Amino acid sequence: MLNNVRKRVVDLALPAGISLALLAGWEAAVREGGVRSIILPSPSLIIATVIERRDLLLTHLWPSLYLTILGFALSVVGGILVAVLITYSSFLRRGFYPIIVVSQVIPKISIAPLFIVWFGTGMMSSLLLAFLIAFFPMTINSALGFQSIDEDIHRMARTFMGSHWQIFWKVRMPHALPYIFSGMKISITLAIIGVIVSEFVASQEGIGYLIKLAGGLLDTPLMMAAITVLSISGLFLYGLIVLAERRSVYWQSSSDISGSSGG
Amino acid sequence: MTEGASNRPDPPSPVLHIKDVRKLYGELEAIRNVSLDVAANEFVSILGPSGCGKSTLLMMVAGLIEKSAGGISINNTPVTGPRPEIGVVFQQPVLLPWRTVLDNVLFPIELLRLPRAKYRQRAMELLAMAKIDDFAGHLPRQLSGGMQQRASICRALIHDPTILLMDEPFSALDAITRDEMGVELLRIWQANRKTVIFVTHSIREAAFLSDRVLVMGRRPATIMKELAIELARPRDIAIMESEGFNGYVRQLRQAIEASHAQ
Repeated sequence: MLNNVRKRVVDLALPAGISLALLAGWEAAVREGGVRSIILPSPSLIIATVIERRDLLLTHLWPSLYLTILGFALSVVGGILVAVLITYSSFLRRGFYPIIVVSQVIPKISIAPLFIVWFGTGMMSSLLLAFLIAFFPMTINSALGFQSIDEDIHRMARTFMGSHWQIFWKVRMPHALPYIFSGMKISITLAIIGVIVSEFVASQEGIGYLIKLAGGLLDTPLMMAAITVLSISGLFLYGLIVLAERRSVYWQSSSDISGSSGG
Repeated sequence: MTEGASNRPDPPSPVLHIKDVRKLYGELEAIRNVSLDVAANEFVSILGPSGCGKSTLLMMVAGLIEKSAGGISINNTPVTGPRPEIGVVFQQPVLLPWRTVLDNVLFPIELLRLPRAKYRQRAMELLAMAKIDDFAGHLPRQLSGGMQQRASICRALIHDPTILLMDEPFSALDAITRDEMGVELLRIWQANRKTVIFVTHSIREAAFLSDRVLVMGRRPATIMKELAIELARPRDIAIMESEGFNGYVRQLRQAIEASHAQ
């Protein structure tokens, strides 16, 4: 038990320590090495910029976050729905699933300019790009989850007269949950990328727009501040999903219990 | 305690009636003309080499696999699909990892839409009988393989089925646990009389547990020999040392060898 605690402390302290060391090295290099802040601002300057220009940053952060979360939510709902359809319809599974898998090859951000043409420079393009990018891993992971149940478990449920509906809710759904969460963890990062890229291409607001604008003005500290704020938000959203995962997928916690036998 | 009614040459009204059952997979004949009557509370083993089609026969009785020809009926009603009078124990425990042991045992009750509260007491009694009631609130992964299989036996018994089908239930366990589980199974069966169809590839296991052993040959599987095991019950592990027991084992082994020679 004590050993476990110690292991966890080390697991947390080690990367945190290395990050701090890197930041300190960066700070020292910029200060002592005389690097100009237009090339590489020091961490302290970035933090100062974040605090100083927080109103500007927040104004642009909100629409990006809003679109990210909305696009992500749509991709989760849509992805799970499509996965269910694929699971239960052999026509869809055999006809559409290969297309979905193959279409993964298309670098979807390359479609961003096309979306601008179709849906204009507003929020719609950003939302749809976020949804599109996040949708595929959601679908593929959920479908894998729904379909990978053990044949024996399926048989067991059938011998006890389980209906399709019962088997879906009591067996397939909980079984798929860990897969759905891995899909969500991939999708949330992709949704952010979708929104930012779309804002790069054409937009009048959003953190992607701000980064591009600051770049044009050679305001590197503002760029870095925007990137920092964006990263922290992304980390926060990812963390929320991990928390939800730990609560929902309680039976798969990694703490090893003695006497577990291989099956 | 000894109940002599273990084997009757012609049971009055069989609980399970199998008549000339065949199973074809395309061109391949997996099971050829198997007929079998099992009386109430009888413990019958089907013994045969791995992959001989004995599990297929069991799954046809469970209503999970369709037969190609012949008839299977339970309590005089033809089997057309899964039935509530049947409880199945599979080779693997197949417990749902997100449910506690107790909730796993109550799983059939939920599927059958029976009142859960009413069966909770019974579930606890079954778990106590299987000596795993202390683990009722644990998740399956916290249990050993043998304990998981005990839980799955409790699950198969929860809705009080007339027939218990067991598909090589102990073959995934180590030899020592396996012998223990045989003794435990007999103890549970003694207290909770059911008609049991037990599929196994272990000669000693079949002889130890059963009232009657049917030897199945390789594909196409058919019943090669039928042997009544007239050892007194309740049986314990010491019986495996007895001359009588070893005589039965010898006879069964010879039957299997004969089927291989064909």
